Amino acid sequence: MKNKYLFVILILILLILPTINDDADSRFELWSKSLLCPVCQGETIFDSPSEYADDMSLILRDQIENNLSDKEIYSYWVSRFGERIITNPQNRNTEIIVIPLLFSLIFIIFFVKKIRK
Amino acid sequence: MISNFGIILSWICLVNLFILLFSNNKFRIEILIRLNLLINFILFCLLEVGLFINDFSVSYIANYSAESTPPIYKFASLWGALDGSILLWNLVLAVYFLIYIKYYKKHQENIDVKIFSTIIIFFTSYTIFSSSPFAGCVELSSIGCEVSSLLPFQELVSAFQGRGPNPLLQNHPLMAIHPPILYLGYVGLVLPFVISTSYFFRKDTSNEWVKIASKSTFYPWLFLTAGITLGAAWSYEVLGWGGYWAWDPVENVSFIPWLLATAFLHSSKAQVNESTLLNWNYFLGGLMFLSTIFGTFITRSGVLISVHAFSNGNIGIFLLSGLAIFTLFFVYSGSINIKYFATSKKVNNIFGKSGFFIANNILLFISALVVFIGTVYPIFYDTLYQRQLTIGRSFFDIIVGPILLILIYLMIFSTKLTIKNIHLQEWFRNNISTINISLIFTVIFSYIYSLEYLGILTLFGAITLVLEILINLITSLKLKKIKGAYWSGQLAHLGIGIFAIGLILNVTQSYSNEFITNEEASINFGGNTYIVNRAYEVSKPEKNIINLPITKGKKNKNTSLNIFKNSSQQAISSPAILRNLESDTYVTIKFIDNNYYKLIFRKNYGILIMWLGLAMTTTSVIPKVRKNEK
Repeated sequence: MKNKYLFVILILILLILPTINDDADSRFELWSKSLLCPVCQGETIFDSPSEYADDMSLILRDQIENNLSDKEIYSYWVSRFGERIITNPQNRNTEIIVIPLLFSLIFIIFFVKKIRK
Repeated sequence: MISNFGIILSWICLVNLFILLFSNNKFRIEILIRLNLLINFILFCLLEVGLFINDFSVSYIANYSAESTPPIYKFASLWGALDGSILLWNLVLAVYFLIYIKYYKKHQENIDVKIFSTIIIFFTSYTIFSSSPFAGCVELSSIGCEVSSLLPFQELVSAFQGRGPNPLLQNHPLMAIHPPILYLGYVGLVLPFVISTSYFFRKDTSNEWVKIASKSTFYPWLFLTAGITLGAAWSYEVLGWGGYWAWDPVENVSFIPWLLATAFLHSSKAQVNESTLLNWNYFLGGLMFLSTIFGTFITRSGVLISVHAFSNGNIGIFLLSGLAIFTLFFVYSGSINIKYFATSKKVNNIFGKSGFFIANNILLFISALVVFIGTVYPIFYDTLYQRQLTIGRSFFDIIVGPILLILIYLMIFSTKLTIKNIHLQEWFRNNISTINISLIFTVIFSYIYSLEYLGILTLFGAITLVLEILINLITSLKLKKIKGAYWSGQLAHLGIGIFAIGLILNVTQSYSNEFITNEEASINFGGNTYIVNRAYEVSKPEKNIINLPITKGKKNKNTSLNIFKNSSQQAISSPAILRNLESDTYVTIKFIDNNYYKLIFRKNYGILIMWLGLAMTTTSVIPKVRKNEK
């Protein structure tokens, strides 16, 4: 019985804890994690140690400091490098999420049929 | 000399395989399989000899090795590019062929030998007709070889100097270990393919095949786990890429077979226990092997860009046709057993073992599917819209992350699962004290690390999992019962639990900063003071190394920049890692400009915990071996 009370109290603490802190990625971090370094074979400019990525992050930092909107930043980079510069295309090309989900659904149905009702 | 000998021996190997293909005598088959292994081993040694004596009349050696290459990297150059790595691939196949005949062949007919021979013939043909590591050089380029010949006894020219291996591949001795281990896993998945198709082709519809296939999958799975871990460690500890996993296409195609093999190791148990999931198991059993061929195709044919693109060649069409042939055969063998599949029983207990295995399979298979689609979708997109698309880590993270989370919660129950339904309330009553201890830990850590809900949920699951298994392990150790498949699974789960704790710390806590500094300066990072000492240069035959010692208290580590001679590639940065259990301080040099250094300081949390967890997973072999002794 004591254990059960303890359990409830601990769960409550855990529910409250995250509301105290606020520790989100800065806009610069979010963007530099989503821009591809075009000369580094698959690394973002956040990860890449190359000078090219460095120059790109200088421009990006400038854009963020000048409070450009996400749309403006997006069109700046895409107009220069093409869509491949954006590494999180799922936000715009939702089919990337939808296709696997549809396939998954087929397999889930397949498995559910294997269970005796 | 080496070129001629190698080409002729490859032909002999092919002839030997064809004789094997048409042999039906048991004794002769045994001899020919050993002969195949011997020939492949000699071919392997021959190329090694060529590498060590710098025989630059062999095109492969001229292009991927150099006189100044240190011995260990000369040795590893054999698998440093595509043509040579196919030689290693063949050797591993030959080893598995012998293992198959000795340990896994349980029936008298020889269709399995024919399937296996066909697969090896396929890859051997590639080294003979398409691109041979022994091809002699007939026309030089400015450095290395330009044109090579697949025929023996040509008039060969010898390059004066070799090009040397790709700098990334001669930076650490792990190059000698990581690829072969990974190959042992990757290629080993041929075993369940041969076993499942050979049973089905003969319409042998006992459940024997699934038992053997499951057993034969375990060791390749283990090597795959170790190989992927070593690759992650190499990337992180040596190459200074800063990360251990980048969802790069080559990493993805090694992860897909791992996910499928993990799924198969579980679902096959459901068939052994309850004669269920028959068609699913056949599907997975073959898909593992097909996924390795497909993975090799998309990463080695140059259709995708990858950090691992060391070795593209004209293997694409070859692999694609192989994939088509093996898939057709696989589908045919399955299709003649439709009646057998219909005998598959339904699962009675959704909260029993089989129910959990189904949940596990759904999740692992969806992960594999997501990784697969994320990897190949850019190719389709390019073909459809003539525009390039990059699918980066955020896509994989948002889907595979939550799946891992659910899997962790499922694993908690694995300690006490039976075929019958688990009684959830009773389970909760029995485990409440463990859960409370875990909650206390979770509260403490969540407070220290200011975790958010998803982080808390993962941490709680992982800690509970680790506690459950540890308690189980300690009580059973007293009884000395640690053997068999059950404990193998438990140790693997324990490793994944520990890994998940490290992973969640790493994902939520890590941060980084850049500093421009000169020598003998001090840097404040993450509340500690680091001293940048005077740099010194080390000159080796193949490269110059600029070492910059970083000191914190009594600890002193070098961060360095490797500048390779004979290479147009940019310098490679090796990190200085100051480590404790909780976190690493990870320093890399970004660039050097007139005595000024641009340094990246990263605080990477949980790395050591992750390595420990993954190492723990590989100990799952111990209970297996123990069982075999008995």
